[in-house]
Amino acid sequence: MSDMIKKKQIVVIAEHRQGNMTPVTGETLSLARELGSLLDLETIIIILGKSMENQASQIAGMTGMDVIGIEGEGVELYNCEAYLAALTGPLEALDPHYIVLPHTAMGYDLAPRLAVRLRASSITAVEHLSHKGESATFLRSQWNGKIILEVAPLTERTVVTVLPGSWPELDENPEKPGQVTIIPFNTLTGHSKTTGIKEAGRTEFDLTKADVIVAAGRGLGKEENLPVIYELSGIFPKSAVGASRAGCDAGWFDYGQQIGITGKTVSPNLYIACGISGSTQHIAGMKGSRMVVAINTDPAASIFGIADYCIVEDLTTFIPCLLEEYEIFSRLHQDSE
Amino acid sequence: MKILVCIKQVPDSEGAISISNSGKGTEFEGTYRMNHFDEFALEEALRIREKMPVETIDAVSVGPARVESTVRKALEMGASRGIHIFTDGAKHIPPLETATRIASFAGEESYDIILAGVMAEDDMQSLVGPMIAEILGYPSASSVICEDIDQEKGTLYAEREIESGMRECLEMKLPALLTIQSGINRPRYPALSHVLRARTQEITMLAAHPGEKPETREEIVTLRYPEATTKGLFLEGDKKEKARELIDILHEKSII
Repeated sequence: MSDMIKKKQIVVIAEHRQGNMTPVTGETLSLARELGSLLDLETIIIILGKSMENQASQIAGMTGMDVIGIEGEGVELYNCEAYLAALTGPLEALDPHYIVLPHTAMGYDLAPRLAVRLRASSITAVEHLSHKGESATFLRSQWNGKIILEVAPLTERTVVTVLPGSWPELDENPEKPGQVTIIPFNTLTGHSKTTGIKEAGRTEFDLTKADVIVAAGRGLGKEENLPVIYELSGIFPKSAVGASRAGCDAGWFDYGQQIGITGKTVSPNLYIACGISGSTQHIAGMKGSRMVVAINTDPAASIFGIADYCIVEDLTTFIPCLLEEYEIFSRLHQDSE
Repeated sequence: MKILVCIKQVPDSEGAISISNSGKGTEFEGTYRMNHFDEFALEEALRIREKMPVETIDAVSVGPARVESTVRKALEMGASRGIHIFTDGAKHIPPLETATRIASFAGEESYDIILAGVMAEDDMQSLVGPMIAEILGYPSASSVICEDIDQEKGTLYAEREIESGMRECLEMKLPALLTIQSGINRPRYPALSHVLRARTQEITMLAAHPGEKPETREEIVTLRYPEATTKGLFLEGDKKEKARELIDILHEKSII
């Protein structure tokens, strides 16, 4: 591996499902590319799995970046302990400045431990890059998006996780593929084992195929207010009802309806956010929507920062009024046809 | 079986948060309460105790004097013992410092299970829990949505929430650390008897050892408010006028 070490690098830990690199890994590579051009660093991709030769070559061809495949039975599925055991040696040897992961169930599970183990700083859910003099700084949201924090690492090594939806997927046309190195990994830790992946449960709602999504959050207030959300959704063909995490936690919606980091990622033509404050976790799941209407009582709610049309009203009184006006509109419209 | 639950006191979202004059810290006007994600973690510990013999459920928090009220809230919900690791001043405590202090306490006590919320509502970093596990050398799983403990075998089965509505299933050896996702249960309201008991119950105060403070690894460059995006249009007028305008817009865009 020593001939690969040209200078201090950026290592991206790739995530894959069913043989394909996840889209958010592509976004993570874009951050790495931006960071690399800012600081003149090379990016190396590490991908772990049972048998990685083909996939590693494919990624090296797609990105032009060098790829290290770590393969073995113990890392067939993601497992925190196994990944840590498999990654520590190669990472110590590569000694990169930055280790970058997507802020997904894998990334936020692994990053904190990796940072402690490698004596690195750790900055999670990064949304933007900036710089202070010659060093890079990282921007992330706090307080449900009300405050943006700019952080600079003080250490030689930094572990960064990238908030989904913050960068476009890397789109490269490299002249030549990157170099591929395969490392076998046969150690088993024995303290933790991932036994499988399963569906969380029934999801009647195909949110990802809907043209219009009406989503509700904590601002709904109580279960009795649910009907207005479904009535509003009902006026649009091919529509579905979604929810924020808070809406699901309150018991008003099924977790299958959740939109955001641990839920679904959607990009309908129209997204109506009702009583949703707009945490980064939620916004990451719906910012691809073509048009966003937000209804919220708090004019400072961060959802208004990404909405095309902002309505500062209480949804429980505004939506009934909207439905009434829609009745009038559709009657007039029918008459004129 | 000994369980430790890590809890954080956070500012209530009803309060007003602003950036301090230095630009590197925040000022908060309002009340403090327990991080919601930690309530789910504590509730899960209480449910484990309902299913099997549990010697103690300890609740630990790191922070200044005001944190005591949140430790007491944990006692009201049903924790056996409250531990407050006292740090001086209102300065932001880096996650690694919190993790180091909790790990140093927990290592001595030999807990079988350590639970924490998947993240804090204010900083949203998801760092402290897994960091504690790493320092102690325990296996860990974050974003756990169900778990089942086999006390005899000293193992646990956990499912963690991953993307696209899927779950990852794990088997782990105890001692282990889990960070708990919201929705795993419904946190209870404290029973009156517990509230009364908690009022007079002593909280174990531990001084944060200066020698244990890890080096600071990140520096806050600046805090700022998100730029007011000029993208969005705020509809004007009363309810009716806004409703009409929205319908006109949706009609113009051929959505209705």
